Amino acid sequence: MILLQSPSRFLLQILHDRLLSQDKGVDIDCQTVEFDDVRYHIQVSMRNPKVLVLSVALPLPPEEAVSFDGLPFGAIEAIKAAYGPVVQILDPPKDGFDLTLKINLAKLPSDEEQKNAILLQIASIREVVLGAPLKILLKNLSMKTVGPEAGQPVALVHRPNESFFVVPQADKVTVVYPMRFLDSIDIVLATSFLQEFVEARRTAALSNAPACMWSQSPPPELKDAPESALTANAGFVTFVVNPRHVEGKKLDRTVWNLLTFHAYVSYHVKCSEGFMHTRMRRRVDTLIQALDRAKSDAEKLKKMVTGPSFKKLSMKDRA
Amino acid sequence: MANNVRLYLTCIRNTLEAAMCLQNFPCQEVERHNKPEVELNTSPELIMNPVLICRNEAEKCLIETSINSIRISMKVKQADELENILAKKFLRFLSMRAESFQVLRRKPVQGYDISFLITNYHCEEMHKHKLIDFIVQFMEDIDKEISELKLSVNTRGRLVATEFLKQFI
Repeated sequence: MILLQSPSRFLLQILHDRLLSQDKGVDIDCQTVEFDDVRYHIQVSMRNPKVLVLSVALPLPPEEAVSFDGLPFGAIEAIKAAYGPVVQILDPPKDGFDLTLKINLAKLPSDEEQKNAILLQIASIREVVLGAPLKILLKNLSMKTVGPEAGQPVALVHRPNESFFVVPQADKVTVVYPMRFLDSIDIVLATSFLQEFVEARRTAALSNAPACMWSQSPPPELKDAPESALTANAGFVTFVVNPRHVEGKKLDRTVWNLLTFHAYVSYHVKCSEGFMHTRMRRRVDTLIQALDRAKSDAEKLKKMVTGPSFKKLSMKDRA
Repeated sequence: MANNVRLYLTCIRNTLEAAMCLQNFPCQEVERHNKPEVELNTSPELIMNPVLICRNEAEKCLIETSINSIRISMKVKQADELENILAKKFLRFLSMRAESFQVLRRKPVQGYDISFLITNYHCEEMHKHKLIDFIVQFMEDIDKEISELKLSVNTRGRLVATEFLKQFI
């Protein structure tokens, strides 16, 4: 699985299971944590078997991020637009969570395909809620309009206490990520990965992809951004998104990819380290085998003799 | 360049063949103790002159011999930041498994990346020429492994970047 998937498998599994076993009486109360501090809590009680209560906790926003009532701006409208009558927002959200939804399985469309599509959408709640501000900005781009924030960097949350910056303009949107990693090895690996992004963009096959740049110091688009956001130990990545990338069906996919870019790079850095460990272990085994070959035959024979020979003697004795 | 490596390794091999003449030698200072003299470095009559073989400023090999033990320290080539951390990670991985390697030293000598300690007991258990073969092969393997790790990181980076950017087309 190279790319991060938008619908959460945990939620999808629970929703499908609930649909299949609607009459069986099993209470569900499950909590889970996803990457970047997103928590889900899903509850079904047998008193209302057709109603699921889903609570979502979002990553802590830093000071410069724009938020409204604990949720990113545009999130509530996005939820109403995506789910219609199936989902109802409960206010106030459950303790410790930022959003609580009541999902009414009885209101799902009867058509199998539409039902699965809505369930997939519900499982992608993260993309709908966290991606709402980004979706609004990119939708403006696809309609070639621009809101009041033209030319100014807008800070959006993607990780706990960290934000990325979006600079909307009439004909393009520039997205800048300050990349921060905790481990020093991660920083070096991530830097080499990010430079590959710039290299890959230069190949002819990807000339239609958004323009991609990497620099160690903050790029000029961020000159109005607050100081605290401008330290990044693995450099700054800039993508330039054109209207071509956000037309029609591509909008959702673009929103998800841009939202989870840092998580994507971090995931592959960790995979790379795991792969290196496997390789190193294999190499250690090879070297130890080489060392065993160096042992003299007398030593090896001494080790082998103590084992089976006892059994052989005892069998001969009996015979 | 390849010729250079062969010469370097042949030189190391010849030096080791000359230096690896180890015999059992009980400790002179403490009764009933038997210690590797090269580590103690106390009595000058038991230690031979150390030999330093340099390939260039970045790669070198120090061979110190004594009457019952020989210590081989290596510094591995590290061209850029990535090779630096890969080499450090790999060599620390090996050093932590020094127990299973028997001839490896847990901590490298100051100024070097990895060290071996071979005593007369090792020479009694194992054939001398096979032991030297192992050391030289170890050196080749380290270089090969680090360049392969670097290649795998670059390949993976390319693949990850291509998959990501393809999503936008």
